[in-house]
Amino acid sequence: MTASLSRSLNALGLLAVSLVLIAAFLDQFLLGELPCPLCLLQRVGFMGAALGLALNVKFGPRPAHYAVTILSACFGGMVSIRQILGHIVPGTGTYGSAILGLHYYSWALLIFGAIVLGCTALLFFERQFERADTAPSRATAFGLAMVALAAALALANGVSTVLECAGGLCPDNPVIYELLQGSKRP
Amino acid sequence: MMSLPFFGLLAGFGFVMAGRRAAALLLWAVSILVMLVLFRLHITDPLTIVL
Repeated sequence: MTASLSRSLNALGLLAVSLVLIAAFLDQFLLGELPCPLCLLQRVGFMGAALGLALNVKFGPRPAHYAVTILSACFGGMVSIRQILGHIVPGTGTYGSAILGLHYYSWALLIFGAIVLGCTALLFFERQFERADTAPSRATAFGLAMVALAAALALANGVSTVLECAGGLCPDNPVIYELLQGSKRP
Repeated sequence: MMSLPFFGLLAGFGFVMAGRRAAALLLWAVSILVMLVLFRLHITDPLTIVL
C-alpha cells in the first residue's frame, strides 16, 4: 500500500468517524436527547481517534498516528463498557433511545472495536511508512476537507457541552441546557 | 469543565492544519488525560454485577 492510498483510506475513515458524531448530534437536536457525561466522554474518544486519522491525512501515515487513533478508541471503548455494565442487568434501565436495537453506547463500543481492528489491519502494510520522514505534505483537497469537518465537529461538541453543563461537571441525567435554563433545545 | 477535551482536540486539529505535528500530538495527550480524569470523576456508582 502506498502512502497516497493510505492517506485516502484515512480520509475515508475520518469521514466515517465524523458521520458517527453527526448522527449523535442529530439524535441530540432532533430527538432532544441530551448526551450524558459518559456519552460526552465517548464522543471525546471518537474525536481523539479522528485526530490520529487527521495526522495521517496531513503528515502522511506513521505508526504513532495510528497509535493515537487506537489508544483513543481503547479509552472511548472503556467508557462504553462502563456504561453498558451500568445497564447490563435487566430492569436497571437504559439511557436514550435504541437505534436498530442497540443503544448509542453499545453502538459506540462496536465502532471503537472496528476502529481498532481497521487501524491494526492498516499497520500490516509497511510500505506506506517508507520515507515518511522526508515525504512532502501532499494531502488531497478531500482529505483536508475531512480534517476541517472533524475540527468543526470538535468545536460544535465543545460549544454544545458548555451550553449543557456550563463550567462544571454534567449531571448524570441531564434534562436541560444549564446555560439555556428552561429550554430543552438550543 | 467537560468541554475542555473538545476544545483541546479542536486546538489539536488547528495545529494539524497549521502543519505543527508535535503540538497536535501534545494537545491530544493532554485532552485524553483530561478525559480520563473526568471519567474517574463520573464513575462513582457501584456496578450491580458479579465478576
